Amino acid sequence: MAIYVVLGIAWIAFSDRLLDALVPDAELQRTLQTAKGIAFVVLTAALLFLLIRGSERGLRALSAEVRATLDSIADGVMLVDAEGRIVEANRAMIQLLGATSKDEVTGPISEWSERWKLRSVDGAAVPNERLASMRVLAGEPNPRYDAILQRADGVDVFVSVSSAPVERPYGRRLAVTVLRDVSPARRLDDAREEFLASAAHEFKTPLAVIKAYAQLMARREPEEAHPLAVIQRQVDRLALLVQHLLDASRLRLDPADGRQERFDLASLGREVVEQLRHATTKHDLRVAAGAAVPVQGDRDRIGRVIATLLENGIRFSPAGGPVDVRIESDGVEAIVSVTDRGLGIPRDRQERVFERYYRAHAGMPDDPGGLGVGLDVSRAIIQRHGGRMWFESVLGEGSTFHFTLPMVAEARA
Amino acid sequence: MTDGPPAVLVVEDDPDLVALLEMVLVESGRRVRTAHEGRAALARVGEEMPGLILLDMRMPGMNGWEFAREFRARHGHGCPIVVVTAAENARRRAEEIGADGWLSKPFDLDEVLAMVARFLGPAGAEGPAASR
Repeated sequence: MAIYVVLGIAWIAFSDRLLDALVPDAELQRTLQTAKGIAFVVLTAALLFLLIRGSERGLRALSAEVRATLDSIADGVMLVDAEGRIVEANRAMIQLLGATSKDEVTGPISEWSERWKLRSVDGAAVPNERLASMRVLAGEPNPRYDAILQRADGVDVFVSVSSAPVERPYGRRLAVTVLRDVSPARRLDDAREEFLASAAHEFKTPLAVIKAYAQLMARREPEEAHPLAVIQRQVDRLALLVQHLLDASRLRLDPADGRQERFDLASLGREVVEQLRHATTKHDLRVAAGAAVPVQGDRDRIGRVIATLLENGIRFSPAGGPVDVRIESDGVEAIVSVTDRGLGIPRDRQERVFERYYRAHAGMPDDPGGLGVGLDVSRAIIQRHGGRMWFESVLGEGSTFHFTLPMVAEARA
Repeated sequence: MTDGPPAVLVVEDDPDLVALLEMVLVESGRRVRTAHEGRAALARVGEEMPGLILLDMRMPGMNGWEFAREFRARHGHGCPIVVVTAAENARRRAEEIGADGWLSKPFDLDEVLAMVARFLGPAGAEGPAASR
């Protein structure tokens, strides 16, 4: 191209002078000049044609490569333009939806989500402006969510949707949206959660029978009150473990599960401590709670979180001693802290304390047992209520677990 | 119709739990009828409208949800229903079927008696009487 430009300029600048010098005859000069002009135009046209064809072939090859790359991606990929139209979709997208041609999966995205019955995991339709592609077009950098689609054959598919912007040098931005089929993993999850839920259910009925018979006997034989109280206490302990398993599975199954009510965290804390006081003879359970601390959420579950922290405090201080529950507030947040003077958690194991099934004391000589689900579930419950959970612990000195909950205005509580 | 104070209908598939509830309720002066699943319970209700139904949710045959739907369809709000469930959120199960109360397993016997008294009032002066 550069050579063409140099030669072209040189030709225009010097060819006439050259002609003047070489051909003296004016008539012949004019004829030659016309021929020269025609030759220049023809040559230029031919050159331009070759150039354009070359770059077009390159473009076509590039486009075929991009197409092949898109089609070789195992996840469904689609390109959405600024008007919210799906302009491109790869082969995996067509297969994911069980469609027969690309035409079925392109077009306005609002029609697309209607056609394939796009729903969020809880079954509610996803409004147009909440679609990942539309959020990207509105300026959000990288939205993602899980959803359900209905394939052409009527089967539901669980997909994980994510989208990212494609900035273009000319024209408005596009959104590239990826749909990953997570159905197999999801089905396995569902089966496992369902199993866990029924297992927990099956455990609780016999517990109910044992506890009720123990209570019946305690009424009839007051002199046997102590052993029967032990049976009840152990049943309660088993029931709490079962409840943790249920919570662990239910929290994932029904994200919207749980009741919203206003309650006083301070009196809930006192209540839980009273309920657990009979669970130990070696420990001194103390509550420091002042004025009412109004919060909002699932009172039963928050109660179980406090019970879990207290039970842990008791369990992880086998030598006995005080376990303190402190409930305070800074007017914006309520803070609950549970402190024991027990075993403490080794520093190198602290990072994993909130992992499900992880037990920081596993394999240690003073391992007091447990399932490793209490803290994971508790933290999930607190996070779902908009709070945080953390702890401090020193090996051999004990641990303090804290959680916060947002407070609600007292006037409305 | 059977004579006597309104009965408590215990709908529960675990025979040990049924036996215990029946024993405790009869001892406290209630008349008790029992059914091991929903269809049998509907038959009991057909014979005699109880004063209160204690309803388990997970049962073989007709479960608690189906029983509640059928009961409402046939008898409207014929009598209060208290859900007795091992489910993680007993209150929610109760709301699902529009029940009047709930007891979560494992429960305290005193809770059961208090719940029955709440709907039927103090135990009748007629004294203990059981019928099936």
